[in-house]
Amino acid sequence: MSDFLAYTVLGICLGSIYAIAAAGLIVTYTTSGIFNFAHGAIGMLSAIFYWQMHSSEGGWGIPSLPAALITVLVFAPLVGAFLEIVVMRNLEGTSDITKLVTPVAVLLALNGVATWVWFRDINTPHVPASFYGLDGAKVFGQFVSYHQMIGVVLSVVVAGVLYVLLRKTRLGVTMRATVDDRSLLMLNGGRPARMSLAAWAIGASLAGLAGVLLSPQLGNLTVFALTLLVFDAYPSALAGRLRSVPLAYAGAIAIGLVVNYWQWISEAGTKWVAFKTLSSALPALLLFVVLLLLPQDRLRGTVVTRTREHFRVPTMRQSFLWGGVMIVTVLMLQALMVNSAVITLANGIALGLISISLVLLTGYAGEINLAAYTFAGIATIVAWQFDVGPTGNATQTSLSVGAIVLATLVCAAVGALIALPALRLRGLYLGLATFAFAVVIDVMVIRQAAPIDVNLFGRKFQLNFFTNGSLTVPRPNWFGVDFVKSQRNFLMLMTVLFVLIGIGLVTLRRSAFGRMIVAMRDSPAACATLGLNIIQLKLVVFTLSSAIAGLGGLMWAAQQRNITNQGTFQVFASLTLFMIAVVGGIGYVSGALLAGIFLSVLSVVMPNIFLKLATDYPSLHWLFETGLGNFTKFVGPALVGIGLGKNPSGIANQIMEGFSVLKKAKTGVAIWIGAELVLWFLAWREIIGNWTFTLVTMAGAFLAPRIIVSVWHDQVAADLPDAGIEDDDLVGLSRPFNESDRDRYDAALGLFPVTGGR
Amino acid sequence: MALLECRDVTIAFGGVRALSGVDIVAEEGTITGLIGPNGAGKTTMFNCVTGMLDPNSGSISLDGKDLSKLQPYKRARLGIARTFQRLELFTSLSVRDNIRVAGEIRNRWHKGRIDVAAETQRVLDTMRIAHLAERLVSEIPTGMARRVEMGRALMTHPRILLLDEPASGQDEQETVEFGELLVELAATGTGILLVEHDVALVMRVCSHIQVLDFGRIIAGGTPEDIRNNQQVIAAYLGEEKDEESA
Repeated sequence: MSDFLAYTVLGICLGSIYAIAAAGLIVTYTTSGIFNFAHGAIGMLSAIFYWQMHSSEGGWGIPSLPAALITVLVFAPLVGAFLEIVVMRNLEGTSDITKLVTPVAVLLALNGVATWVWFRDINTPHVPASFYGLDGAKVFGQFVSYHQMIGVVLSVVVAGVLYVLLRKTRLGVTMRATVDDRSLLMLNGGRPARMSLAAWAIGASLAGLAGVLLSPQLGNLTVFALTLLVFDAYPSALAGRLRSVPLAYAGAIAIGLVVNYWQWISEAGTKWVAFKTLSSALPALLLFVVLLLLPQDRLRGTVVTRTREHFRVPTMRQSFLWGGVMIVTVLMLQALMVNSAVITLANGIALGLISISLVLLTGYAGEINLAAYTFAGIATIVAWQFDVGPTGNATQTSLSVGAIVLATLVCAAVGALIALPALRLRGLYLGLATFAFAVVIDVMVIRQAAPIDVNLFGRKFQLNFFTNGSLTVPRPNWFGVDFVKSQRNFLMLMTVLFVLIGIGLVTLRRSAFGRMIVAMRDSPAACATLGLNIIQLKLVVFTLSSAIAGLGGLMWAAQQRNITNQGTFQVFASLTLFMIAVVGGIGYVSGALLAGIFLSVLSVVMPNIFLKLATDYPSLHWLFETGLGNFTKFVGPALVGIGLGKNPSGIANQIMEGFSVLKKAKTGVAIWIGAELVLWFLAWREIIGNWTFTLVTMAGAFLAPRIIVSVWHDQVAADLPDAGIEDDDLVGLSRPFNESDRDRYDAALGLFPVTGGR
Repeated sequence: MALLECRDVTIAFGGVRALSGVDIVAEEGTITGLIGPNGAGKTTMFNCVTGMLDPNSGSISLDGKDLSKLQPYKRARLGIARTFQRLELFTSLSVRDNIRVAGEIRNRWHKGRIDVAAETQRVLDTMRIAHLAERLVSEIPTGMARRVEMGRALMTHPRILLLDEPASGQDEQETVEFGELLVELAATGTGILLVEHDVALVMRVCSHIQVLDFGRIIAGGTPEDIRNNQQVIAAYLGEEKDEESA
């Protein structure tokens, strides 16, 4: 009984801190309509900042009370306000996907900054202290530290104040009106910008408070563990449907209790020891339970709103043409490249193969999967078990078609199983379900280096997922073509596979099925009233996308050859991939390719260039390696994602829009392509170097369109954008009033952020 | 037996009763008007019929079959189609594809398959929007967009069509043409339940009209009956009560 009481008290203490974090999430969501995925990262950054201020070993030694007050009331709110002003305001008028990806980018950026500033040297300990050290008092005969008591008291205060603020005050009503109709509020004299700013500052402050209170649990701080610790509060926020503070509070206490009771049970008897690891994945599992228990979303109209994302659908002729161009280009480029460059390009295309699963799911259907790498991990394990097994030799084994098919089918089945509880709900919930799934698989499966002995109901068996913490993944050896030793052959195999999947996706998008998917994304309500079973269709799409992610992930693993279980399939890798895929242009196959190559280049090539510069110029070592190199490695990808609000259709769309004006200047384009071919020939014959080829090609990509527009102006003029409205013009339209007209008037009324012009 | 029969339908949101014991009947091959001031509960009634809202009490049946437990997509498969007061178009698709996809969806669940391409062209012509077929639906004027919504609903070959303010955004001439179109459609046997603020249109095309006010049916009858009903006049103009209080 005393144990039960002890774990109950501990559960309430933990749940109270989760409640604070959940309350912060609710504040930002109810006032901005944005689910702040970076909430955990803000908590993490605040906890580390508090450590910096307070710690006497490595920190500034400021006493705990002022350090905590500065962190929670100044530092964290400033971070929140900064994010609202610089990042979140740009999300007005963007789709739910963009509204999810941008906070994800912020999360990754904050993690990157923390790693860059505090954790470059992993050997330096960062041990946070509890308030009042280990002092405490007995409550119901159970020792409770003052630190824990402070958490409980503060959670009650926070919940009470927020409930009154959001439900009972005029300020709260105005804050909620901001998300319902920002433009209407503004036209009625409200100040939505100020409301959002306040909400983000309050939300960040609460994340900071939760971070400071939770951090002593970890002992030695790490960026990822601390971020995930605050994530444990997300299920409780969902229990309150991201709107109800009291329900979220109750949910948080329940999670705290369940986590502690599980620890108690798993420590009580030997037969439960194997499940002890489950306790760290328990909040993520509880998220699934919450999703199952939530009532189905009422089918409501989306109201035709303009989002700033626009994706063109290529014709079949275009997709075949560009597929051919891609194969020829890769073939020609690899002929110039040294082996290391071929590997980088192959990594990029392999990552593109995973990203392309998101084109179908997110780009076409508007649904979210934050666990793409997890499917890659599952496919790898399945194929490895099928072809190699614990006693086999991967280097002498060929990746069989059977293994690929099986791995793909398993991923499809797992995807369907994971998606089912969340498909009844809105897209955000599916995203969170996949995020939780990634955490669970990472903790429970991928990190299991040693075999797990399980004794369940008297039956003993062994689970063996990731033998010795690393796997050597076989490559195919088909039709007498050696893909194992020849990296170039494997590059071409993946390129052809990418093109085939890409053409398949375009075919699907142009089919009746594709139109249904897009219709479902645009208006689920209208689809249902036409007789379409939306849940079934979503399930089919998610299953198909999971299968593609598994297939692409297996190719990626085969490209790597040696896979370790530390961080390879971690949820943050999936977040980065998802973010970069959206930045690349989630509605385009070419966007997936750009995303893959961008990730590969940014994570390998750029840091290596800076490393070489640091070696060549030792006096500038700090600038090149510590500064630019680490910045590119840790923060660079995230910064690209943060800028998404300004260009929500992605880079692929931007490139296509830019080049589409050239289509009528056929002579100019032919000369440009001809010049490129000559350059390639010169490089191939080693008359010019590869760097010269690269630099001239890049300069050509920048200058050629401008030269073509200028020389063949008459041919391209018809496609050039409207010059705009001058101040004193009276404008009449002899055509239907279209979206760009509306955008222009909205900009004049100040309803959208003006990004240019006057 | 009436085609669509709603009996004693009641729904409340928190403390607000949006519909209170509402009875509505719509017959095959006729146009039934449902009118009332803003906030009377007309769209809420449509949402109840199509399954987007679950009433607290009452029954809704189509051809005698109770719809209460059915999901919206199952009700649509029984022959209920609708348009929306606030447009619900597939904004990424062209006008033609908005209509075509409805036929493609129908072919998934209906045993009698239709030639989608031919049927799409027929509906485009019938709705007089063929000239806009290749335009993105997000670029066309609201009045035309409402015709696209109606055309899309027609692709399912509904037994009853629920139209929510279909004439809003259309000019006078277009509204006259639209009224003729509704009459032609009803003549083919389709039942139509029409919510519309253009009272002149309703009076011209409907054979029976029911009037909602504050969630209650306050009058029902032929257009002539409704035109002379004092309660209806009061609900729209507020004259009667003012005079009484004076």
